[in-house]
Amino acid sequence: MALTARRVEPVALLQRDRPLRPDLMLILAYMTLSAVGIVMVYSASAPRLEAFGLDPGSQMRRHAVFVVIGVVVFVATSTISGRALRGMSPFVYGLSLAALVLVLFAPARAGVNRWLDLGPFQLQPSEFAKPALILILALLLSSAEEHLDLSYIFRAIPFVVAPALLTFLQPDLGTMLVFGFIALTMLFIAGATWRQFTCLVISAIVLAIALFQVGALRDYQLTRLTAFLDSAADAGSTALYNQYQSEITIGSGGVLGKGLFQGTQTNLSYVPAQTTDFIFTAVGEQLGFVGGTIVIMLYVVLVWRILVAAGSRRDRFSRLITVGVASLLVFHVFINIGMTLRLMPVTGLPLPFLSAGGSAFIAMSAALGLVHSIWMRRSPVPE
Amino acid sequence: MFGMRLSVVGTVFLLLFGVLLLRLWDFQLVSAQEYREQVDLNLVRFVQTPAPRGEILDTHGELIAGNRPALAAVVQGALLPSAADDDLLVQRLSTFSGIEMSEVSEILETARNRGDQITIVDELSSSQAVYLVERDELFPGISVVPHPIRVYHGAILAPHVTGFIGRPTALDLERADILPQDLLGKAGVEREYDALLRGTPGLIKYQANAQGNILQTLGEQLPTPGSSLILELDLGIQQVLTTALLQGLQSARLVYAPGGCQQGGNDPGCPVRAVGVVLRVSDGAVLAMSSVPDFNPNIFVEGISQAELDAMPDGVLTNFAIQGEYAPASTFKAITYVTAFENDLLPRAESFLEIPKTREPTLDDEIQCSPQLRADFTDQSQLVWRNWKRSDDGPQDIHRAFVRSCNIYFWDIALNLWDIHKGTEAESQLQDWARELGMGSRTGIDLPFESSGIIPDRELFEQWATEQESGGPKRLAATRLELASPWLGGDLLQAAVGQGSVLVTPLQLATAYAALVNGGTVWEPRIVNRIEDADGGIVFINTPRVANSIEIAPGTILQLRRDLQQVVNSQEGTAAGAFDFFGPNRELIGGKTGTAQVIRERKGGDRPDVEGVNTAIFSGIAPIENPEWVVVIVIERGGSGGAVAAPTAVPVLQYLLNGPTFVRDVQVGLEFLD
Repeated sequence: MALTARRVEPVALLQRDRPLRPDLMLILAYMTLSAVGIVMVYSASAPRLEAFGLDPGSQMRRHAVFVVIGVVVFVATSTISGRALRGMSPFVYGLSLAALVLVLFAPARAGVNRWLDLGPFQLQPSEFAKPALILILALLLSSAEEHLDLSYIFRAIPFVVAPALLTFLQPDLGTMLVFGFIALTMLFIAGATWRQFTCLVISAIVLAIALFQVGALRDYQLTRLTAFLDSAADAGSTALYNQYQSEITIGSGGVLGKGLFQGTQTNLSYVPAQTTDFIFTAVGEQLGFVGGTIVIMLYVVLVWRILVAAGSRRDRFSRLITVGVASLLVFHVFINIGMTLRLMPVTGLPLPFLSAGGSAFIAMSAALGLVHSIWMRRSPVPE
Repeated sequence: MFGMRLSVVGTVFLLLFGVLLLRLWDFQLVSAQEYREQVDLNLVRFVQTPAPRGEILDTHGELIAGNRPALAAVVQGALLPSAADDDLLVQRLSTFSGIEMSEVSEILETARNRGDQITIVDELSSSQAVYLVERDELFPGISVVPHPIRVYHGAILAPHVTGFIGRPTALDLERADILPQDLLGKAGVEREYDALLRGTPGLIKYQANAQGNILQTLGEQLPTPGSSLILELDLGIQQVLTTALLQGLQSARLVYAPGGCQQGGNDPGCPVRAVGVVLRVSDGAVLAMSSVPDFNPNIFVEGISQAELDAMPDGVLTNFAIQGEYAPASTFKAITYVTAFENDLLPRAESFLEIPKTREPTLDDEIQCSPQLRADFTDQSQLVWRNWKRSDDGPQDIHRAFVRSCNIYFWDIALNLWDIHKGTEAESQLQDWARELGMGSRTGIDLPFESSGIIPDRELFEQWATEQESGGPKRLAATRLELASPWLGGDLLQAAVGQGSVLVTPLQLATAYAALVNGGTVWEPRIVNRIEDADGGIVFINTPRVANSIEIAPGTILQLRRDLQQVVNSQEGTAAGAFDFFGPNRELIGGKTGTAQVIRERKGGDRPDVEGVNTAIFSGIAPIENPEWVVVIVIERGGSGGAVAAPTAVPVLQYLLNGPTFVRDVQVGLEFLD
């Protein structure tokens, strides 16, 4: 039997005693969002490209390639077992930190060190640092008891601060906040007492205010924030202009929108960064309230399926990963759409699966793949 | 516990999504209409087209200021592509215009921020214009627009009256109707009538995208050209006046220093400028107004650098005919003269020579025009008053004293007035007359920056003293502040001969003289006769306005006219020498000279026989029996009125009375004549 066992083990990953049961609802929402993303990227980029005499489909095709890669990554991560994942976590986290350090020495683009040039692609390490942080925190906190010991919190902090500090240096304020939000959510789920949790939230807020006061924020970050907080501050500031354009663009969409590819605002390029950070304005203008609601509901479905996956598992590691990924997704969606609706300041966080941008799509797909792998390996007992 | 926490997280997440949906609801269902309107506005861009500025014409319809068609390259801030695409455009524009890249990029930034247009090349050559138009895709946001350029033709002879145009100042921009690219009147009628001259710019309505690419023209509103000003100014008279002033000033400088003195240098004795006004007696129309040295207003059209501005002589942009304040000196005696007759003022009784005991003395009785007058003031006033003539000038009545400009006679009248009325309201009856004639306040001419002059009296001095004590400007000697009243008898004596603190503008002097000889009507001086729109329709008629009507006995006016005529025509008149070679119709001319002491001691110069530095003044009237014109000449630091100012008026009066063929060059005299 021992021989047989040795023979079977290498293929255990693929040939399990229980068949893998994919979550079709989650996959459907993921694929629909990705498809909407490809269409909207085309709609938002084609007129401008055409105006310059370039191939109108070029940006869409580039994004489509990333979507294909992302889906492959999703499938691949879906197959990783929990044990393998535990083993990988420290390496993934270490690698992502190394990339974050490396990117600071890479040539700056538009005044920020955010991209590593890999020939045909520019890698954005901060996007991959997000799932990496989820993995390492899940690994760390999974060994804790039901009620989180204070020492765990102290051990968790450096793991959060390291990538947060590195992205702050890029500077990338939005991503820094993502790390904070993920960490808080995961600590909460890990069983931090209400008092611990409150202290953490308060110190996070104090830290944010301190950074503000010390002037550690770059000018443009301050402008964005102050422009948001005080809309009379400088009507001419770019941040405010962008948000104003975004606001009227979405508002003008009405119930049904102006029709796909019919956006006067997005097609005439009034809205900045409309294929990336402001992609939701294209949705809002062209597909209206109905389209915007469908997109938001697709995210609700995704988050719902992720939380269901969390509830389907007994082990803390899996639970922490799923909730971490859910918080990652929710934070991006809320901050991004909130920004286009002038609820949130301009921070430059992409809208998951919709915004053009390879790193974000692939990293987000990987994170979703982790959740899916956890779901597929749930116990046969229905939750 | 995990289940509970998971539900908390799930609920929070759900709430966040709910917030987004509510906001989306508010935007797209509640406020959609409002946003649609804003979006529509977003797509429309307005571009202004300049209106041609109204013309300025002289009374005969001769063009003073007009426009020359030209094309300009402008940056349309509203149509510029986003800043990220500037680099190439900056490079191309810099190569095209020769302007530094950094400057070009600054202009683009400014235009973009303000969303309006900034001219980058004022006047394109036709090949430049064609180049730009044919390659408009290389120059997004840059357009070639018609750009009429101001040209001053005759204005070279009347720059202070027409003024000039320039870019608005920060203060101008506070007005809602002024845009940074506008050209505004900065001085003269260009400034006074700016709103009418400017017209209404046209507007082109474009639909554009954010790149500034024009998709289509939605409408165009043509500019309304500005209205034209038809002035009272007569370029013929203006030219003769300006030429005479230049000659008079030049001659005065040569007399002062045959080698020529430092113009605008440190020599306080050097004649600095000549100012002249020709006024129509019957309605206050300004027929000519000049101040030299002057400037060419065309230099402002293209813009002028600070260095160029600094290189110009001091005060060259100032219209001294209305802004210069001068002591009128003996020309003021006409007012003292009329006051004496109308208010029955006399020299002191003891001054009269041989009066029959049977009657009271009158102004027709003589006193001795001694070299000096002794006054027994008990205040701090000067006690010995010296006439301008160092020798005895013989027995004189008021008429001869006027013709000889004898200070003694007029001082004696003032002394008598002071003795009788000091401290009462009647003590300032002389100043009241001056004020009635328009001195001491703005005439109301339709030109900007007019000065009001000063007619001093006790009230004014007491006001100055109060201001001075509370840290105001120091206008009075400190010793006066210790007195019960700072106004002294000596001040009245000074005022009676137009010195001391009395200051008038050349225009005020002309206005007052016109009123004195026309029977007492003070007309508000006018530059503009009427304003017409581009189609010749009348927009505005500047009807003559009576500023004040004074009752003056006809006998007094006749006597004054006769004595004014004598100043010019009698052998002993102070202006007689100046008119010796006048030609025909000399007898139709009347006038009064004045010499205002500017500096008591004169240092340098080649005339050691002449004391001090003086401003020469002459006020001439013609024809004296039926007055039509008043000509006032002021040559600042030029010398004496009779020797310098009166000769300068000669060509102008020759032109007015006898026509252009009789005009001679200015011949200044050497004898000091008050």
